[in-house]
Amino acid sequence: MPTLTELVVAALCLSGTFLIVLTGVGLVRFPDVFCRMHAAGKAGTLGVILVVLGATVYFAGTEQDVWMRGVLAVFFQLLTAPAATHLLARAAYVCDYPLAERTAVDELRGYLPSRPDQVFNQE
Amino acid sequence: MSPFLSTALMICLVALLASGILCLYRMCIGPKAADRAVAFDCVAAVFICIICVFCIRWNSVLYFDAVWILMLVGFLGSAAIAKYLEKGRVF
Repeated sequence: MPTLTELVVAALCLSGTFLIVLTGVGLVRFPDVFCRMHAAGKAGTLGVILVVLGATVYFAGTEQDVWMRGVLAVFFQLLTAPAATHLLARAAYVCDYPLAERTAVDELRGYLPSRPDQVFNQE
Repeated sequence: MSPFLSTALMICLVALLASGILCLYRMCIGPKAADRAVAFDCVAAVFICIICVFCIRWNSVLYFDAVWILMLVGFLGSAAIAKYLEKGRVF
């Protein structure tokens, strides 16, 4: 009979793994790079956070300092994942990566320079 | 460790492996560099999850520090690729 801790750990790990699998499927099936970033940036982040929290909960009763390390890892992930995704998306848009054919609205058009070399030369 | 938890961890490992293979497939066929960078981020996430699952399975916290180090390295990799794509002009 599993204890309560094991139930919580299994639930956290399985749900996080489910989100990571969704990330992989989205990476393969989505049409353009911005949609793939959508899959990777949201589901991937939450999946990693859930699995790390599962490990933290498992070791929280036995090890002393693991609790702080797990919370630190979650904090780092929440801090860095949106920044990395935003940087990559901006770079891809500036470099004129093609949007998907079904794209309805492009609200960034006109706000970002679309040719990096020209902007670079103006400075 | 009860058989319930070890079975759940086994299912997690197999699913994570499948997701990693999907990410590597996108990294191989990705049309341009940004697709590969996104796939690299996902492979880093899959690695972090695999490390966590093995920590639980082996009942040891030896590798737990690798988790947030991998997070920081993945962020640095993505930022470096973005800077390279924009030809040095990030902000």
